[in-house]
Amino acid sequence: MSDEPQHVTVRVGAEGVDVEALVSEIRAEVARKREEGVYTDARIGRAERHNLMYMADSEELLRFYLKCLRDGVHVDINDFVIEDRRPGFKGRMLVKMKTVIWTLLKFYTFRMWHQQNQVNGLMVTAIESSFQQYEKKIASLEERIAKLEQGSSE
Amino acid sequence: MKLAWITPRFSPEGVVGGAETLIRHLASLAAEAGHEVHLLTTCARDHFTWVNDREPGEEVIAGLQVHYFRVNEDRDVGRFLEVQNLIDRGRAVSEEDQEAWVANSVCSRDLNAWLEQEGSTLDAVLAGPYLFGLTVEASRVCHGKFWLVPCLHDEAFARLDVIAKMFREAQGCLFNAEPERQLAAELYGLPVEGNPVVGMAIDPVTSDGEGFRTQRGLTKPYVLYCGRREEGKNTHLLFEYLNTYLERRADTVSVVLAGSGDLQPPETLRPHILDLGFVTEQEKHDAMAGASVFIHPSTNESFGIVLLEAWLAGTPAMVHDRGEVLRWQCESSGGGLWFRYYPEFEAMLDLLLETPELAGKMGEQGRQYVLDHYNRQAISDRLLSALENT
Repeated sequence: MSDEPQHVTVRVGAEGVDVEALVSEIRAEVARKREEGVYTDARIGRAERHNLMYMADSEELLRFYLKCLRDGVHVDINDFVIEDRRPGFKGRMLVKMKTVIWTLLKFYTFRMWHQQNQVNGLMVTAIESSFQQYEKKIASLEERIAKLEQGSSE
Repeated sequence: MKLAWITPRFSPEGVVGGAETLIRHLASLAAEAGHEVHLLTTCARDHFTWVNDREPGEEVIAGLQVHYFRVNEDRDVGRFLEVQNLIDRGRAVSEEDQEAWVANSVCSRDLNAWLEQEGSTLDAVLAGPYLFGLTVEASRVCHGKFWLVPCLHDEAFARLDVIAKMFREAQGCLFNAEPERQLAAELYGLPVEGNPVVGMAIDPVTSDGEGFRTQRGLTKPYVLYCGRREEGKNTHLLFEYLNTYLERRADTVSVVLAGSGDLQPPETLRPHILDLGFVTEQEKHDAMAGASVFIHPSTNESFGIVLLEAWLAGTPAMVHDRGEVLRWQCESSGGGLWFRYYPEFEAMLDLLLETPELAGKMGEQGRQYVLDHYNRQAISDRLLSALENT
């Protein structure tokens, strides 16, 4: 999967725009890109948190959200490049000071964030498992209903 | 005919909510058609406090006989909010609590007294939106002559017994859009006949998008949101989506906001925002004309005035799939696209920004739709036809 965002390509006719057809075409293209992993991005998971009430009744969208959640579940506690926009001696001193602060902060909070990551991981696993369990239960019930309907119609 | 129209607020300057603007507009059309129109409203200006901040009385404004009445000052706001919160959370609410909710909502005994006194001389009383005690009480005082301009949304309040009774006992409803009428049919079993879709006229305006861009120093394409910034309008979702879009698309578009509200955008989105705050009508139209895309994420609209205004300015729109009325407007006009979740939002915004020809065609389709269906004559015809049945 590439991290680079990929644009959806939709052909447009020369005459008036049929927006229903256009929306369908975009949805099909987005679904294809989604399968390719283009939208598996923690930032999208974050953006969807206010949309959950609308996604909850769509199995397709909920499954997508769980994928995003899995991608964004871990708090990033790795080192990063520490910089300062001020030039010269002042800038170098500030970088050193920030580096010391970050090292101390990481030392004293590492255990807490590690535990938080464990909890987050377990939570997502639990949600995914129950989602899969319900999917299986629903599939088996649908199969049973279909058989019963078939039996009653014969 | 002698008609009384009831609306919670009225401002001679016209700066009130969408439903109040609608009632004023319909009342004006009825007056222009030669009917005797009385517009009954409260002395309040602020839709949070409902404090009576002007004197009661009468005056003639733009051909309307406007009557101002005091909001009941002894209303128990605590009791109102207590029940309101229960309803909002989807809890079952007793008949007694529903009555307390109505009685402690925005009501006016003085307005009811006027209706009782003048009721026999009135041919019809038309009130809205549905959610106010003012409207519910008018339906009881003017039983048999009462028409509702509901501005109905699919929300917990619409499912209350007290509200269902008002809808069923009204002489009829004037709806803004077909999905609103369908919702009323689902909730209350209202027939199509006698409950017409009327809507509101959107008058053509001259707008200067390029002038707005130059004046505001906007060099990049921009998307526009107009209206109150609050969760009820789904603005928080739009902020998150735009923030993510700009993170993934690196500074490709600016965001222009018009209107007010307490909701704050994420820190990382703020450098991309031009916040106009309250704007004049002309500046709003100019901002709409200059925008590449107008975005209306609300799922709780019964009409969508700003969406139609954006189309009139020739700007294509994006709306949330779950906003039934706005999506219907987009489907009917061909002027907008509707997204279900972020990936679709991103794909649609990309498409409209990168394909100006497509965006232009959609904007033009929207404009033509507004000119054809929401012109003054069409609305007046639909309104007068409805009034003939009162």
